[in-house]
Amino acid sequence: MSVPRGAVHAKWIVGKVIGTKMQKTAKVRVTRLVLDPYLLKFFNKRKTYFAHDPLQQCVVGDIVLLRALPERRSKHVKHELAEIVFKVGNVIDPITGKPCAGTRFLENLSDSDSLTEADTTYLSEKLQELKVCSTDK
Amino acid sequence: MPMKGRFPVRRTLQYLSQGDIVFKSSVKVMTVNYNTAGELSEGARKFVFFNIPQIQYKNPWVQIMLFRNMTPSPFLRFYLENGEQVLVDVEDKTNKEITEHVKKILGKSKEMLEKEEKERKKLSHPATFGPKKYHLRECMCEIEGQVPCPASVPLPKEMRGKYKAAMKNET
Repeated sequence: MSVPRGAVHAKWIVGKVIGTKMQKTAKVRVTRLVLDPYLLKFFNKRKTYFAHDPLQQCVVGDIVLLRALPERRSKHVKHELAEIVFKVGNVIDPITGKPCAGTRFLENLSDSDSLTEADTTYLSEKLQELKVCSTDK
Repeated sequence: MPMKGRFPVRRTLQYLSQGDIVFKSSVKVMTVNYNTAGELSEGARKFVFFNIPQIQYKNPWVQIMLFRNMTPSPFLRFYLENGEQVLVDVEDKTNKEITEHVKKILGKSKEMLEKEEKERKKLSHPATFGPKKYHLRECMCEIEGQVPCPASVPLPKEMRGKYKAAMKNET
């Protein structure tokens, strides 16, 4: 029997965290595509859910996956945090497993590798100037 | 007077009902990550533009979320009932290939759809009469060869209750 899952219709949902001011609870906004009957176009319709987050590991802006609890935890909390899909500022590309931001990977950015010849000469000149200034003082 | 928008055919019921991906009942959430620029994401962009409305129309209870420019590579992710996640890489694929692939892995097969169609047909009996919502025909007068509706053609004298009552009283 599938009674165990859900006092609620939505068993699994994905949403964005919009508030963490409550203790061990995250406020999550879930958007669904709803068809407008006259325009016949799909628009996002938002709904907020409260999710139980015992370790308080959510930050505002995370994309999270919620699982329905077998019974309601409190008047409004009917879901719990299953996993953080994308952590804000720390998105990991699931295909390659590397950290990324927007459309580029962050992994291969390091100070000395991406410098060109012109950069190094410019920087060394600047360093020289600084050395001169410090001896003056 | 043409419809507004770039490809307004996407906003017609006929186009929407032409979508052939009906997800299995275990699929709950579908997430599409794609980029708004770049050749590799072209197929994903076309998929979102043309096929997502069809999929959502056929699967109104599946939550579909679109994420733009979050990762360099475009992909689809499905979250199933038992906690399983299916990751589909769509880099460098055309939107047709994406739909075929998704249909193969998570769509209901044609036989299953036909079976469900038959089940639904069994519930309603085609020989009954009633409101248009539940039955095929409303009244016997609609059928060819039967007495036409007195609203359009008056009944012959012998069939009218008034004449029959007069005859009975006479004799």
